[in-house]
Amino acid sequence: MTTKLPVTVPWMTQASMFVRLLAIQASWNYEGMLGNGIAFCMEPALRLLPGGVDGVEYRAALGRQSQYFNANPYLASVAVGALVRAELEHEEPERIARFRKALCGPLGSVGDRLVWAALLPTCALAALAVFGWGGGAMATVVTFLGFYNAINLALRAWGLRVGLRTGIQVAHSLGTRFVRHGPRLLGSLALLLAGFGLPLVVQRIVQPGVALLGGTLAVIVVGGVLLARLHGRVEGWKVALVAQVALILLWAVK
Amino acid sequence: MNPVAISAFGVLGGLLGLDTVSFPQAMLSRPIVAATLGGAAMGSPAAGLLCGATLELFALETLPIGAARYPEWGSASMIGGGLYALQGDGHVGGLLTSVAIALLCAWLGGWSMVHLRKLNARWAERHGDAVASGSRKAIVGLQLYGLAADFLRGAVLTLAAVFVAMPVQATVLRTLEVNAALSRAVVVATATAVALSAVWKIFRAVPHARALFLAGVAAGLAVALAR
Amino acid sequence: MAIELYRIDDRLIHGQVVVGWGQPLGLAFIVLVDDEVAGSDWEQELYRMGVPPEMHVYFESVDTAAVRLGTYQEDQRPGLLLTADINTMIRLVDATGSIPAVNVGGIHHRAGRSQRLRYVFLTPQEADDLRQLAKRGVLVTAQDVPAARPLSLDELLAGEGNR
Repeated sequence: MTTKLPVTVPWMTQASMFVRLLAIQASWNYEGMLGNGIAFCMEPALRLLPGGVDGVEYRAALGRQSQYFNANPYLASVAVGALVRAELEHEEPERIARFRKALCGPLGSVGDRLVWAALLPTCALAALAVFGWGGGAMATVVTFLGFYNAINLALRAWGLRVGLRTGIQVAHSLGTRFVRHGPRLLGSLALLLAGFGLPLVVQRIVQPGVALLGGTLAVIVVGGVLLARLHGRVEGWKVALVAQVALILLWAVK
Repeated sequence: MNPVAISAFGVLGGLLGLDTVSFPQAMLSRPIVAATLGGAAMGSPAAGLLCGATLELFALETLPIGAARYPEWGSASMIGGGLYALQGDGHVGGLLTSVAIALLCAWLGGWSMVHLRKLNARWAERHGDAVASGSRKAIVGLQLYGLAADFLRGAVLTLAAVFVAMPVQATVLRTLEVNAALSRAVVVATATAVALSAVWKIFRAVPHARALFLAGVAAGLAVALAR
Repeated sequence: MAIELYRIDDRLIHGQVVVGWGQPLGLAFIVLVDDEVAGSDWEQELYRMGVPPEMHVYFESVDTAAVRLGTYQEDQRPGLLLTADINTMIRLVDATGSIPAVNVGGIHHRAGRSQRLRYVFLTPQEADDLRQLAKRGVLVTAQDVPAARPLSLDELLAGEGNR
């Protein structure tokens, strides 16, 4: 299945695509979404098409690839790689269009579940646990950025490589164990970290006011359960902001 | 603050705002990092961290999923951490007011991001024909416009906070009459309630979610009580 | 009846379907009805990647779906049926006669379509097709995610609730 590309993508070109991937969302908007970003990231490799930057094929490919696309920004690397391969192998434009469309859904839902709904909150909870344990600024920040970006960068690099290697057959490779079972694994870790870290964080922040611990705990549990019950119809941070501003005004005026 | 410090703060705010979505999305914009950097810029990373940890509890709830609307935590957290380090730390109500200002800025930041996205759409439409015909200049240009505009957005928001929120906070802190413990308890209680509901919403589908969470709580409480 | 939602969404399987509807409905399977996808292995594999390991996806053409719909409807597990366009759903309604309600979940911008909702763009022909669907006794509503209020066909065509 993974035959050699008719044109090899030089190392420097791949590096340039990788750097561009970090800015893939720079022109994100509600109509084309990631579309322009996809073309932007593919551009260095499309120069390898016959005729180079002045060729008809280069312009046709860039034009096609800049249209609507939607996916998780990290896993969009898979699309960038796979679409480059499809273009360099001169796939039919009609087939490329179907391929692009079919990529959006899986790369969106797999990526969002893995990155936004698992990796990010897990890393944040790990950092909070370190803070609650008594960690300083450096330890807390390094835990968070190190944990998060090791996976973030590896995911993007892996996606680009796997896409370039497999092209339209990329689905096989998306089924790696980490991608499929990562959300559940990270979720289990996050729940442990949340349970462990939250009491310690409360203790560290509230320290000078231990006398009020009972009331604080009551508000946390009752408020937390209420907000969870509302199923996302209300955003907790907005409710909290309104409550805070009201109390500040009350105490400032009094 | 002298003009050089203010400019540097604005640039840092712009960069952290940029990180939220546009570049490099390495989560330097998460409160626990951005507020610590803001505090460090004002001479106290530890104060920034305290504010950042509090804000991170709120931020757990808002996942930056594509087209959804969400608060912009990068610039906002840096402002909160900076303000807390500069004039909040050691004052009654210092944490409460810094956190409230940061939440307000995150709201404003999120709103400004929606407008930036509409602006990006207008630019994309204006250059639609050039893009569709495969013009490299137009495609790269759109990305660069977006980057520049997003940086400016964060920087302007940060400077506005320096000139508006800083004096307001100073005034409020002078007139605030409240028990120090109570003001902290309000912040911690609201933040942790939001975090708790967020953890439950995101992870309740994980097998044995309740047991895992309670096992964690048992360990956490044991450590908390032992020290 | 075990099919909880009959949905038209040109993105087919994506986050809103898998997470947005999947979690609250406790979806165990998705029936994806599309003549082209039903004949394409690599597309099926991609769409299958978009769902969690424990969720099943069944690929059908309109013809095979018409034969098997009854079996899916009697399945004990909760499921969702998905088509990419209005036309496919109409053909399925005509072929089976047992689809009570249709959810318009996403039809996006394309030349010739005008915006009705944030997530619905229609050609005049497509708007007419939806009216035809309603005339056959099918309840047509628009709703992208469960947290949003379902909009009636009139509200959808008038572009109300457009934010």
